[in-house]
Amino acid sequence: MRLTPGPGRDVDLDTVDLFDLDLYTSGDPHPVWDVMRAKAPLHRQVLADGREFWSVTRYEDVCRVLGDHREFTSERGTVVTHLGEDDVAAGKLLTSTDPPRHTEVRRPVGSKLTARAVRSWEDSIRRSIVRFLEPALDGDTFDLAERALLLPAIVTGPLLGIPEKDWEELVELTAMVTAPSDPHFQQGSEAATLAISHHELVTYVTDWVKRRRASGGGDDSLLDHLMSVRPGGAPLTDEEIALDGYSILLGANVTTPHTVAGTVQALIERPEQFEKAQADPSLIPNLVEEGLRWSSAACNFMRYAVDDVSIGGGTIPARGAVVAWIGSANRDASQFPDPHTFDITRANAKRQVAFGFGPHFCIGAPLARLTLRVFFEELLQRFASIDLAGEPQHLRSYFIAGMTHLPIVAQKRHTP
Amino acid sequence: MESLPQVHRRGGQDEASERQVAPSGEPVSLAQEISALWGEHFTGREVGSEDDFFALGGNSLIGIKIIERVSQKYGVQLSVRDFYLAQTPTRVAELIEQGRAAT
Repeated sequence: MRLTPGPGRDVDLDTVDLFDLDLYTSGDPHPVWDVMRAKAPLHRQVLADGREFWSVTRYEDVCRVLGDHREFTSERGTVVTHLGEDDVAAGKLLTSTDPPRHTEVRRPVGSKLTARAVRSWEDSIRRSIVRFLEPALDGDTFDLAERALLLPAIVTGPLLGIPEKDWEELVELTAMVTAPSDPHFQQGSEAATLAISHHELVTYVTDWVKRRRASGGGDDSLLDHLMSVRPGGAPLTDEEIALDGYSILLGANVTTPHTVAGTVQALIERPEQFEKAQADPSLIPNLVEEGLRWSSAACNFMRYAVDDVSIGGGTIPARGAVVAWIGSANRDASQFPDPHTFDITRANAKRQVAFGFGPHFCIGAPLARLTLRVFFEELLQRFASIDLAGEPQHLRSYFIAGMTHLPIVAQKRHTP
Repeated sequence: MESLPQVHRRGGQDEASERQVAPSGEPVSLAQEISALWGEHFTGREVGSEDDFFALGGNSLIGIKIIERVSQKYGVQLSVRDFYLAQTPTRVAELIEQGRAAT
């Protein structure tokens, strides 16, 4: 989807289709969300097949829906591609589990992903990123969006405990999960694409666990950690390990590349921001926060209302599906003045909700922040300038806001 | 991804011994056997040999169990992609036949 919105236009909220994939591939959702925040902060849509969902688009409402599990449960599924089908992994997959079980499992799993815990990985992450960026300085066109799909794998593979030979396939499978209708990734139908990718990923982790059990001994990796945690005094079941392992693979792979591409595109379009960051590298952490806000790679998450609930000036009935549009919340002018201006010095950029909000706040956020900071430190130090070398192409997905192609040409920086 | 299913045979397994006989006295086709096998995983639903896996409410957790059962019962390891792209008991039966023929 376009990250810099085009001119405002008339939007008919009665007929707007938020699940129209063309809106994200070639259209412009921001002007639609702008009107929704202003005129219909609670919006209901009925799909052609009869399924219905409510949308919240304001910052405050998005935080409430994501943050309050008593009113809005995760146990019936949280991903819009499964709207209307109760989650088969409810209560077993951490992202589809409410507190208190959620808290009990999340704490030990997250202990390996805190900012302090990931700090020891900085040097190895930096080496991987330097290697990743090298070919971009050959003078040839470098498709950043396509290449970046492999970046999380390169960076986090060793941390997760997954050998390099498997990464390419895993990256393809995770891309299939997030954009089952994108022609780059689709196999057969959307349903088949989702089933194939879920099946292969869950089986991958299951086989990984079997091999580890057979060989004995740990390697201190994150998957290994999943096998050893004892939330509530008992280890995770093999099914829970497989599902959470799948979920961590997915979270690692599918969002960071799009944040990288979206932020670089914003800098290409605004050379003065690029120069500002280059002149003062201490701005980079804030550049990362603004890039997260700007690109909002996880476009939305879903919850189900537990009981009738009043929000956004209306009522969602009990058991109704509600989509919290993160991409819209991050452009809410009541929180972010001039929200469609990309500004690396924005004072409260850190209040962005690209990682979600509340109990399900992204477990990998510290690792993502570290990776993005190092990425932009190295990029700004090595690149004198970046130009667009072709049309960017957007991901065909209403779940993940991203790019499939961003061809760039970079000039080497000659530092004294 | 491999396109041909892999076959592993257990000792003494005979294809004919897998054949069952329907109440009508007609031999049950492999497609009907597969329909019945699917039926065990879609509780309370009669599955026909041309029914669509996803229309029945199929998902990957059910697919994992069915592929596992096919492997145990027929000694054919179906490719995950082929299974979900086949989508009906009839076409899954064809995959099993192909898997057997390939040995």
